[in-house]
Parts: sequence; structure tokens; C-alpha cells
Amino acid sequence: MMNPVSRGLQTQTAVAAVALALVGLPGQAFAEDVVLRALMEDVPETTIVEKMLPEFTEQTGIEVEFQKIGYPDMHDKLVPQLVSSNSYYNLLAVDFLWAGSFPAAGWLTDLTPYIEASGFDMEPFIPSMVDLLNPYDDGLYVLPKYNYSMGLLYRTDLMEDPALRAAYTAQTGKDLAPPATLADYVALSKFMKAEAGIAGAAMQAQRGDPNSMEFSNYLFSAGGAYLDNGTVVLDSPEARTALSLYIDNIKNGAQQGALSATLDDTMRLMCAGDAFSMVSYWWMLAQIDDPEACPAVAGKVGIAVMPGGHGESGGWGWGIPKNVSDAEKEAAWQFITWIQGKEASIARALDGHAPVRSDVFADPAVVAKYPYYDIAAQVVASGKAFPVFTYSAQYQNILGTQLSLAATGETSVDDAITTAAEGLEKLMAR
Amino acid sequence: MERFGREWRIGWAFAAPGLSMLTIVMGFPLVYAIIMAVSSMTLLHPQLTPLTGLDNFAVLLADPLFWDSLVLTIRYSVLTVTGEFVIGLGIAVMLQSVVRAKPLYFAIITIPMAMSPISVALIWRMLLQPNLGIANHLLESMGLPRLDWLGHPDLAFWTMATVDIWQQTSFVVLILAAGLAALPRDVYEAAEVDGAGALYRFFFITLPMLRPVAAIAIVIQLINEFRTYDLPYVLTRGGPGTATEVLSLFAYRRAFLGLSLNEGAAAAFFLLVIILILTIAFFALLERGSRRP
Repeated sequence: MMNPVSRGLQTQTAVAAVALALVGLPGQAFAEDVVLRALMEDVPETTIVEKMLPEFTEQTGIEVEFQKIGYPDMHDKLVPQLVSSNSYYNLLAVDFLWAGSFPAAGWLTDLTPYIEASGFDMEPFIPSMVDLLNPYDDGLYVLPKYNYSMGLLYRTDLMEDPALRAAYTAQTGKDLAPPATLADYVALSKFMKAEAGIAGAAMQAQRGDPNSMEFSNYLFSAGGAYLDNGTVVLDSPEARTALSLYIDNIKNGAQQGALSATLDDTMRLMCAGDAFSMVSYWWMLAQIDDPEACPAVAGKVGIAVMPGGHGESGGWGWGIPKNVSDAEKEAAWQFITWIQGKEASIARALDGHAPVRSDVFADPAVVAKYPYYDIAAQVVASGKAFPVFTYSAQYQNILGTQLSLAATGETSVDDAITTAAEGLEKLMAR
Repeated sequence: MERFGREWRIGWAFAAPGLSMLTIVMGFPLVYAIIMAVSSMTLLHPQLTPLTGLDNFAVLLADPLFWDSLVLTIRYSVLTVTGEFVIGLGIAVMLQSVVRAKPLYFAIITIPMAMSPISVALIWRMLLQPNLGIANHLLESMGLPRLDWLGHPDLAFWTMATVDIWQQTSFVVLILAAGLAALPRDVYEAAEVDGAGALYRFFFITLPMLRPVAAIAIVIQLINEFRTYDLPYVLTRGGPGTATEVLSLFAYRRAFLGLSLNEGAAAAFFLLVIILILTIAFFALLERGSRRP
């Protein structure tokens, strides 16, 4: 007969084993049982990644599910999950505007130990993209996913149109050419609206993320900035010039309804051939250049760095929530390294993805398919960033409100810039 | 009946399960929100302590955007509820005289109410899209200029109110139609015998007798409109400028974009107090009116 002590020991050992299994032994063993769930922005980049998911599942046995929604709703859906005890989303798509607040709130897992343990090569990643998504020095929380630096997309067929060229020369005494300054661009936009019978600029001036992102290009293009070594320098003559030109373009160059328009509206307008230009994400060119999606303008759109030499830089990255199991973290890391590896990145780039790895920008197959990649690389390299800090999302709201109020004439350009600068100072001091 | 007698105890016993549930699902969140409004809780500091007293309220009261959104919410609520009531009453009275296919009319009228506000907002956003929307296409085909429905600061407010009235009127119609159907016929018959005309009957019999039902419809709609969030969120995001920034949207921005759950809760608390005051004042007025000889 078994003595009571040894029976007790056996029971305890069995309970301990079950408990260990339940809490999850670290590592690979359970990763393949995980279903990865991510909330994704409903943009072409997501569709590109989505198409590759079966391949990843086939290789690893890990299922990946994407929920696609519009950008403005993403933050609201993510935050409650990240503050809960266990996040439903175990793989995160992180916009650079959240790269300040998410790690500051302690919601993200530091990826450094995973990088070290797996030997994942970070060398090819464009350093400015890594820095953009990781404003803190205490770790690496977000791995670059794709780049959305902004540039000037414009209709080359209209620039080459003899009648328009003649009219432009007659009116200005100059040849019709890509604009060298922000003022030139706004003047060109107004000219096209008057002479070509379409909107000179498809503008996304809805209050909030759309107008603050768009305006940032005008600001950098005019030589202004938000910060200089951590000091707020927004309240400047350059910023006033930028806002005045921004408003001028909304009123006299853009489509009707620009003040309520978002990225989707501008995309539709440009795709339909109803606009001459738009200041937008450079990867939009691959979508607009698609003869099936946009037959009216495919092959007729070019890209340039913002006049003045600088546009808005932006990007998305991958993160892993802190409040998920180790097995989920392991599975998420497996996915991130796979999708951001060279092979998958090139495959994505050939499908229209905006790379974050320098080796993809230099890949012969990619360059052969997209001859404008040299300009795209300049757009990425010359981009300047919106302030990334804990309250970036709130600052976007403050700036967006002031821009919108100035555009509707409810406040002056001077007051809008001063208030926006003060708002930034207050939030940075918080 | 004895005050704490058997019936009293049985009454409370039957009511207790329901009241307990109400306390859990309504009372607890309400109390928690109030505590949050006087706390230091933010998304970066998810603890209620230390309590900050009325600081969060003071921050809001010092913010001109808060006052703008408060005034706008009052204007918006009064405008939409008035519109819904006037149009709803008109339709309800007309439906009273309909004899054939009445259920069909009711079914059609109920459609907007059955749709979720988000769907309604998305549909109207497409219809009112200035360049590709059908509304401007119709205007143009009639030789009229295109309108910037949601992008013009003056027009956006009225557009949003109109969409709201379009959706919410059906609820008012249903309530008022039920109220009209329940009015006693003999009063009308007596008035007709006395030679009262249709207008006289409407203003001096129908409206006074409908007052309790109308009051309920108005109070419910006032509460709904004060809480409006979905429509401005989808249609305009509060813009252009702050032309459609209602108080609930302001509270949302504070809580989720500003990460300040405490200030968001304080803004929502203001909303609650206003709705409570309005409701009490409205029923007090109604009570006083019904006592008047």
C-alpha cells in the first residue's frame, strides 16, 4: 500500500505540473497553438500583408487574424484592451504617434530580449524609422513595419499639356514646372483649379489627424518646425506663412468640402482624375498608378519631395502587448520577424508596400518595377517628424482644432499658431 | 394600509431583484464615474488615488472649448427636439386619419429609427459628399450650386441637426401616435356637437390631453440629444473648427485622446447634471400645468 505521504507528494507534483502547463511554459512549445489577433488600419498595406498570412500559417502553424478598421477608431479600440488585464489583441500595429504614449504607459513589451535571443538582424532597418518609432532610450518597443512619409503627388499629363503650359507661361512668365517652394505649389494648385477645371489639390483638412498630418508638410516645406532639440519653436514666421498658404489652398485650390475630407476622400478624388495633386503618403502612388483601380490616372501621376525639401515623416510598427501570455508573445515575435524579414519585405514591396529596410529599397526587382523608388527614398530620407511624445494624439487634436478654426476664419493665423505652440509646450511639460 | 405591513414587505421583496440589478448595472458605474471625476485617474496612471477634489471640474470650467461645446450642445438639443416634435406631431396626426395600409406607413416610418446611428451617419456622409455625393448631384441637376454640407462651419451644424431629426422623428411619431390613439373619443364628439372646428379641437382638446405623452417624448429625446455622439463622430469629428463639437465628443477627446479619464468623467458628469436638471424642471412644469384650473 502506498503511504499517505508519497500519495500526497504525487498529488502535489501532479497539481504543480498542471499549474505549470496552465500558466504556460515559456517558448516555442505553445506558440503554434496561439491565434494571433491584430487590429489593423484598413489601407492597402494591410491587404498586402493579409495576402501573405496563409504562407506564414503554413510555415509555422500559427493562425493570424486581422480586424480592419479606419485609423480614427483604432486608438479607441486598442486602449481599453491595453489597460485591461488581458488584451484581446496579442499583436499590435502601432502608429508612430502612439509610440510615445504606449511605452510610457507600460503597455508594450520590450523587444530587445527577443531580438537578442533570436539573433534577428536589425542592421538593414533604416535608422530614422527605428528612431521615429522608439523615442525612448530604455528599450526597443516597436519594430518598423512600413513607412508613410509624405510627398507631393501630381498629374504629369497636366504638367505636359500644351494648352496649360501656354496659359501658365502667359500668366506668370515662367515655364510650367514642378514647384520649388510652397508658395509656388499653392499658386500652381490655384492655377490648375482655374484652368484645368479640376481641383488643384485634393486636401484632407478634416480636423484632427488628417489636417495636422497634411499641415505638417506645409510647415516643414516652409522651413518651420515643431521642436528644436526639445524646445518648442512652432511659433515662428515660417509657421504663419505655412498656415496662410495652407488656408489659401483650402479656399482657392482644393476641392469643395476639403474641410471635412479625409485620406479616403482625397484618394477617391485623385483616383477619379478630379484633382491635379495631393500632399499624401508616397505609397499612395502605387495604388493610384494601378490601371485596374484607377484607370483615369494610371501612368499619369508622378511624385516629388515636398517643395522646400522636407515633408512629414511617418510610419507604423509592430509591437507586442505586455498583458498577453508568454506563448502569445513568442508567436507574435515569430510573426514580426517573418513579415519584416528580407524575403517577405521584398515580396510585399513588389505588391506596393512602403519598405522600412534599406536592402528592399536597393533590391533590383523592386527598383525595376517601381522606377520612382529613388524619389521615394528621397521622400523618406528628407522627412521630418511630428512631435512624438506621451501626448502626441492629444496634441494632434489641439493642433487640428486650431488649424480648422483658422481655416474657417473663426480665429486668426497668428492666434492659431500661438495657441498651437502653447498647447505643445503645456503638453510637453506635463 | 399599515406603513411597514405585509403588503409593503411583499412589494419590496418583489422589487428587490430588479432594484439589485439596477444598482449593479447602473448605480455602480455611475458612482465609479463620479469618483473618477474627482480622482487623478488617467490612462497613464490608472489608479483613483490621490483624489483631487474639484480640480478636474475647475480645469474644464477654465477651458473655453468646454463652454463652446456646452452651448453648442444646448442649441443642438433644443433645435433637434423641437424639429422632431413638430414634425413628429404632424405625422402622427396625419396618420390618425389614415384608414388603409396604416401598418405599412408605420413600418416605413420606423425604418430610420431601426437603423444604428453609425450606419445612418455613414450613409448620409456618402450622400452629402460634396464631390461625389448624390445630394449635390441633385442640386446641380436642378441648376442649383453645390453645397459644402459638412465642410462649411455654418452649414455643418444644420446638416447634422437635419440628419438627426430625420432619424429620431420616427420615435416621436410612434409615441405620439400611441398617445393620440388613447385619447377618449367622447370629448371630441361633444366638442363637435358644440360646433368646435378642427383647429379648435386640435389646440384645445388634443394638445392639452396629449401633454403627458408629449412630455415623455420630449424628455426622452432631450436626453438622447444631449448624449449625441455617433453622428458628429462619423459626420464631422466635431469640425470644421468646433462647429459641431458637442459635449459628449469633448468628453471623449479628453478621456481617450488626452488620456485623462478623470477629466472625461468630469465632463460627462456635467452632462449628467444638466440632463437631470432638465428632466426635473420639465416634469415640474408639467405638474404645475396639469394643476392649473
